[in-house]
Amino acid sequence: MVRSLRRVFLTRKGASVEALSDVSLTVRQGEVIAILGPSGCGKSSLLRILAGLDTDYVGDIEWGLRDASDSLDQRLLSATVFQADSTFPWMNIEKNVAIGLSGLNLASDDVNLRVARYVGLVGLTKFLHAFPHELSGGMRQRVAIARALATEPLLLLMDEPLAALDAQTRFIMQKELLQIWKKTNSTVIYITHDIGEALTLADRIVVMTARPGRIKMIQTVPFSRDRDVIQLRAQPEFGKLESELWQLVAEEVGSSLEGSCVEGDK
Amino acid sequence: MTNLPLSADGEAAVIIPRKMLRARRTRLLMQIMLGIGFPCALLFVWELLAATGTIDRRFFPAPSETFISLVGLLQNTGERQRLIVDIMATYQRLVIGYGIGATLGIVTGAAMALSAPIRFSLGPLINATFPTPKLAIFPLLIVIFGLDDPSKIVLVAIGVFYMTCLTTLSGVLYSNPLHRDVAHAFRIPAWTRWFRIVLPAAMPSIVTGLKLGLGQALILVVSAEIVAAQEGLGHFIWDSWQVLNVSRMFIGLIVVALTGGAAVLFGEILERRLVPWAA
Repeated sequence: MVRSLRRVFLTRKGASVEALSDVSLTVRQGEVIAILGPSGCGKSSLLRILAGLDTDYVGDIEWGLRDASDSLDQRLLSATVFQADSTFPWMNIEKNVAIGLSGLNLASDDVNLRVARYVGLVGLTKFLHAFPHELSGGMRQRVAIARALATEPLLLLMDEPLAALDAQTRFIMQKELLQIWKKTNSTVIYITHDIGEALTLADRIVVMTARPGRIKMIQTVPFSRDRDVIQLRAQPEFGKLESELWQLVAEEVGSSLEGSCVEGDK
Repeated sequence: MTNLPLSADGEAAVIIPRKMLRARRTRLLMQIMLGIGFPCALLFVWELLAATGTIDRRFFPAPSETFISLVGLLQNTGERQRLIVDIMATYQRLVIGYGIGATLGIVTGAAMALSAPIRFSLGPLINATFPTPKLAIFPLLIVIFGLDDPSKIVLVAIGVFYMTCLTTLSGVLYSNPLHRDVAHAFRIPAWTRWFRIVLPAAMPSIVTGLKLGLGQALILVVSAEIVAAQEGLGHFIWDSWQVLNVSRMFIGLIVVALTGGAAVLFGEILERRLVPWAA
């Protein structure tokens, strides 16, 4: 749960810019939340705070650790899949996934089990000893996904993980993500600017405003989790929601453009 | 060439790779032939100019003359021994100075990258002294370390230190910030982060420093030996020049050039070993 989160940046000239303003959000366990908004709306700020990459913020994050089984030396609070290729080119796939577990208190047998399980889950078992440069962009992103899943995080953070992939690969990956989440019962915050992708993957969609980033509205996605990526797009409800969300986002893109013009005039 | 046998699909598939292989082989052959051929052509022109008396043979002896005096030198036990002593003296200074300089450079560069106070303290000092010709401080080094080996080793070490220190520093500071984000987002412990992520990420840059340092080391050791030494390749060259034994001087230059070539080769092997993913 995130309560009244606020993040302020200093610009080079020493002026402060508010990136996030009073963002409050409760994520239920096993839920997939897509965060949608124009560029510069603070999506990435929110993600970096949740990922633990940014500690200069005001507000509370409650992780809702309920019992001892959520013991944190076996799993991370959050694990992140980044937009760009984040594999380490000097390690093979096995090590790329295993190094994500080095902050946890796991026996080496357990590390091997987890690596095998999650590399298998993303379908790369055959490439365990390959190096990233021998794989395609989509496969490397799967390695990053396996690395994040292997930490069995309370919250899986995905920062436009498919944005750098070509359209066909993205489509296939969306399908696979749905299957993977079903198997792992992950709780996910998924940042994207792709409205169709948000509707395809999420249970709820959070639309953010232009700077400073606030929550503009939260849209519940009416489709069941057993959705089919292709058939979904044929449903009239999909088109209707898509155009509604477009409308909302377009307003924000417009206002952020106006905002930047005013800044430029100064 | 155009009417490939259509009956068997496999044959076209065999012909294409064969063609590609042949093209690759031709290219490699051309590279080697030009790489050797062009310098040989230059030597031939030199030989011609010397033979026709266009250039002064006292200062620019014909390559054949230098070759003959090399053979003569190698047949003379005393002279040969002398050259070997000089080569070994230079190589010893090179290896020790390079080892010390590279180690200190990498450690200092890494420490500067790791700690802002260290970086703020050493940064201006190192950047300001970096462009100083290292040979200019050689007199001071002689005062401190004496006329023997240590002053030359320290000179080499200083030259290599700057190269590796600065490339290590920039390698760590400017390596892909995403790798650092991954390290922090996954709570990877400091030790693992340093030795398995930060240093490998900076390795291409560090290796560049190590390669630059090799050239720098050779320049400095030969220069120092010309200025003040009783043995070593620099001394061999300068000594030959002073008695106007020019073809002997050219032998010294050839040995230095071959050493430089070997150093480049060593640098490339080092690069392939240390950063196989970047090759």
